[in-house]
Amino acid sequence: MGNNNLSNQIRRLRFENDQMTQQELADKAGVTRQTIIAIESGKYAPSLPLAFKIAQTFGISIEDVFQYENEQS
Amino acid sequence: MKQTKEVSWFYFFLGLACFLIPGSVAVFIAYDRGISFAPVLMFTAIVIWGGLFWLFPFTFGRLGKGKKKVTFDERDQLIHKRSVMAAYVVLWLYFVAACVTAWCIVGPHGSISVNVMPLTLLGGLVIFTFVQGLASMIQYGRTDKGEKS
Repeated sequence: MGNNNLSNQIRRLRFENDQMTQQELADKAGVTRQTIIAIESGKYAPSLPLAFKIAQTFGISIEDVFQYENEQS
Repeated sequence: MKQTKEVSWFYFFLGLACFLIPGSVAVFIAYDRGISFAPVLMFTAIVIWGGLFWLFPFTFGRLGKGKKKVTFDERDQLIHKRSVMAAYVVLWLYFVAACVTAWCIVGPHGSISVNVMPLTLLGGLVIFTFVQGLASMIQYGRTDKGEKS
C-alpha cells in the first residue's frame, strides 16, 4: 500500500502548526488516526482527495506536503 | 486497538473455531452414515454461521451510530477490498482442491454422498472468513506499535 517514491512532511508540519496531534489532523482530514500514522511512516500512499484535504488542513499546497521522487532522476 | 482490527481478529478466530463445526459433522456422518437428521443439522449450522457472519458487522454499525469519530476510512476500505479478493482466490482454490480430492479418492466411476456437498459449502464459507480475517490482519500489520502523537 505504501510507495517508496513518495515522501511527506506531515510530521514536521504538525509540529509547526501548534504541535497538532495525529488525532487532530485525522479529525480534520476525516480519517482515522491509524491512517495518519500509516501515511506519516510511508506505509500508505493516500488518495488524491485525501492528500488535498491534508494539504488544506495545513493551508499549503499539496507539493509542500508530499514529494514524489522519480527513480530515474 | 482499532475497531476494524478487532473485527478482523474476531473473523480470524471465528473462522478458526468454525473448522470444528464441519469437522464434528463429518465425524458424525462417518460414525453413522445415512442418518436422517444429518442434513438438517448441517443446514442449521450453515444458517447459524451465516447469521452470525452477516449480523455481526450490522450490529457493530448500529452500536457505532451516534459517534462522530471516523472509524472506517479509505485505507480500511482498501484493506477490506484486498482481503475479500484474497479470500475469494483461496475459496476457488479450495473448491478446486475439494473436487480433485473427491475424484482422487472415489475414482472416475465412483460416487459420493450428497452430504459432502453442504459440508464442502460450509467449509468454503469458513475458509473465506478465516482468510479474510488473516489477510486483513497482515495488511494492518503492527501499525499500533510505536505510535506517536
